[in-house]
Amino acid sequence: MATLATALEQIVGAAHLLTRPPSLLVYRSDGLPGHRAIPSLAVFPGTRGEVVRVVRVLAEAGAPFVARGAGTGLSGGALADGIVLLGLHRLKGILAIDPDARTATVEPGVVNATLSKSVAPLGLHYAPDPSSQSACTIGGNIAENAGGPHCLKYGVTLDHVVRATVVLPDGEVMALDRGEGTGYDLLGAFVGSEGCFGVVLDVTVRLAPIPEGVITLLADFTSVRAAADATSRIIAAGILPGALELMDHATIEAVESSVYAAGYPRDAAAVLLAEVDGAVAGLDADAEAIERLCCEAGAREVRVARDAVERARLWQGRKKAFGAMGRVAPHLVVQDAVVPRTKLADLLEEIHAIGMRHDVRVCNVFHAGDGNLHPNIPYDADDPAESARVAEAMSEIMHRCIAVGGTITGEHGVGLDKLDYMPALFGADTLDAMCTLRDVFDPDRRANPGKVVPVRSCREWLAAPSARTH
Amino acid sequence: MNGWRRRVHAPTDAAALAALIREAAREGRGLRIVGAGRWLDVGSPVDASDGITTTVLRGITAYNPADLTLSCGAGTTLAELEMATRAHDQWCPLLPWGDDLGTVGATAATATAGPFAERLGQPSTLVLGLECVDGTGRVIEAGGRVVKNVAGFDLTRLMIGAWGTLGVITQLHLRLRARPAVDRTMVLEAPISAEDAVTAFARGPYAPLALLRMDGGAVWAKMAGVVPATTEPGARRWLVRIGGNAQFVAAAQDALARLGRLTTVDGDAIWPLVRQHAAPRAGPGHWRWDALSRRLRERFDPQRVLNPGLLGAR
Repeated sequence: MATLATALEQIVGAAHLLTRPPSLLVYRSDGLPGHRAIPSLAVFPGTRGEVVRVVRVLAEAGAPFVARGAGTGLSGGALADGIVLLGLHRLKGILAIDPDARTATVEPGVVNATLSKSVAPLGLHYAPDPSSQSACTIGGNIAENAGGPHCLKYGVTLDHVVRATVVLPDGEVMALDRGEGTGYDLLGAFVGSEGCFGVVLDVTVRLAPIPEGVITLLADFTSVRAAADATSRIIAAGILPGALELMDHATIEAVESSVYAAGYPRDAAAVLLAEVDGAVAGLDADAEAIERLCCEAGAREVRVARDAVERARLWQGRKKAFGAMGRVAPHLVVQDAVVPRTKLADLLEEIHAIGMRHDVRVCNVFHAGDGNLHPNIPYDADDPAESARVAEAMSEIMHRCIAVGGTITGEHGVGLDKLDYMPALFGADTLDAMCTLRDVFDPDRRANPGKVVPVRSCREWLAAPSARTH
Repeated sequence: MNGWRRRVHAPTDAAALAALIREAAREGRGLRIVGAGRWLDVGSPVDASDGITTTVLRGITAYNPADLTLSCGAGTTLAELEMATRAHDQWCPLLPWGDDLGTVGATAATATAGPFAERLGQPSTLVLGLECVDGTGRVIEAGGRVVKNVAGFDLTRLMIGAWGTLGVITQLHLRLRARPAVDRTMVLEAPISAEDAVTAFARGPYAPLALLRMDGGAVWAKMAGVVPATTEPGARRWLVRIGGNAQFVAAAQDALARLGRLTTVDGDAIWPLVRQHAAPRAGPGHWRWDALSRRLRERFDPQRVLNPGLLGAR
């Protein structure tokens, strides 16, 4: 390790290399505190050239590594357990903006919201908006194929990526695109590969015009079922809202008791935050239709944000809901599953019952329009008994989501946290094929080892005499 | 490959197809993968003794309109998909270049987009998941049936546009959309000087579902009877499709009317003709066999069973 550290220090300089355990503690978890691991060392290259050189030194040394952006991920995916952590947050360059083509080429450490701010004077924005957008990086978004509230209408990260330059774990630099009729969709395979296929050096993303008009509505309901029902009615009516978010009573309570208080009615069983955007003409009609459909589903009241300030406040409550839960308990487990929209109401009732049975408090705040659930449980990770109850409740919830035809993650990724659910979702052949795909990009499996697909699912890997334990 | 004198197999499910592929791999035979046969004359010659047709893998296996998702066999025709979804005022807006007798499987395997893809989604956006059999006989269930999914490595995107050389698609799970409340197709005739304004319109808040410059001599325009008896000298014509609620379409139409003369035409009649006769190109281009692509082919089809030669030497 000492020689590796020396080689890396020669590339990045002593100021950008951490080797002492106390300073490495900062990187022991990501946004999900239940998983903890400390890297052997952390290296922070400052240029694309340095990233390539670092990756090549790691390849020569046969050293496994984990790439990391802002560490806001919610799957334990950016943890390095006794191996090298490769931090990319220093690569903050916005390399090119093309207003005619509506694209921007950026380095991986550019913060999601910073990109939108930078192109706002051109009337453009970067549409995928994870709740962590004020901190998370575009590189991390690519790794996770990140979503966000507005992905209901505008699509997830992959829909906004045009091409990328990446360095493969063996040190080879490759330009990836969507195939375009003359190649395989290598970029499609790379986006969402959770750091297992290589490291992004630069990426060209699509920018969207800032909508001409926006109307934000808040509907409040006396039952979660009615709110879920309203969601189905809106989608079935053919309206495609910019966003359609549901928060239950436990979430409303947490938000309203925090500094992020958004003025949600504290006595509501659930609120639905709906937004329509686009050309001004036609927006009123969509908003009125949403209001009517909510009332038909049993809404007590539907409020329309009068101005940008009120709209921002309504959204702040939603986007900072995870943070607000920090008041309730020291730790929070955030889950991420997708079910068919029509199963939402039944499933929310089941989730409530599962929480009661295990004596844990489930707060639901999620992308209802996509059927993308986020059941969250505030708890104390240092209390083993409570941690065990939380784990059991979450496992039950996830298996119910799989049973109704859903999936175990819509936008947060598998990482470490959902590894155990993979065999419940995919058959042996499919998991084996995923291992094959990983091998195409990283035959030595040094990039983010042990994540996404359980090693025991990889037949060839198991058969190999040199099979490793990680 | 033009001498179509092969033994043709018609497996009825993925397991039967897997058995055929494993047998071919053992015997070193290549298989030509065919849907409705719309792509037989593109790409490089395929070195295959046998053919596989997916046409019996046909039919819609799951459709819950309220979820806006549908599952179907790869051999399902685009016409069947259109008919089933139209009944619920929905569509799967693949609407690729070509006719509606082509299959959903081939549309995905060739990643064929159409005139509406820019607005309504490329095949890779509209396919949520798929079942396929790779060249080693593995039955792969890629992706899922829900509208958002990042579980595991993305084998779905890998198969789309791979021309069957990494796996044969047997089932697809598709994203549907509600049809716009108002859906209007118009011919815009405006002076050449208005061209920039028309482009700006298409990039603005009233972005149309499609906007196509019309060439007066185009086959489809003649067949659809939208070629006017007289065209003013120096005039240019566009075919525009606007979809949305009534207010939106009315406002978009007003904006267009300021640019030139507007005539409403029968979209249901004209767009199928456009898709058949105005296709920009057909078939795979000169394939890029970089290191990653070579490894993909080696690992997913080591014996070169699937469409060998179609994308060049590999």
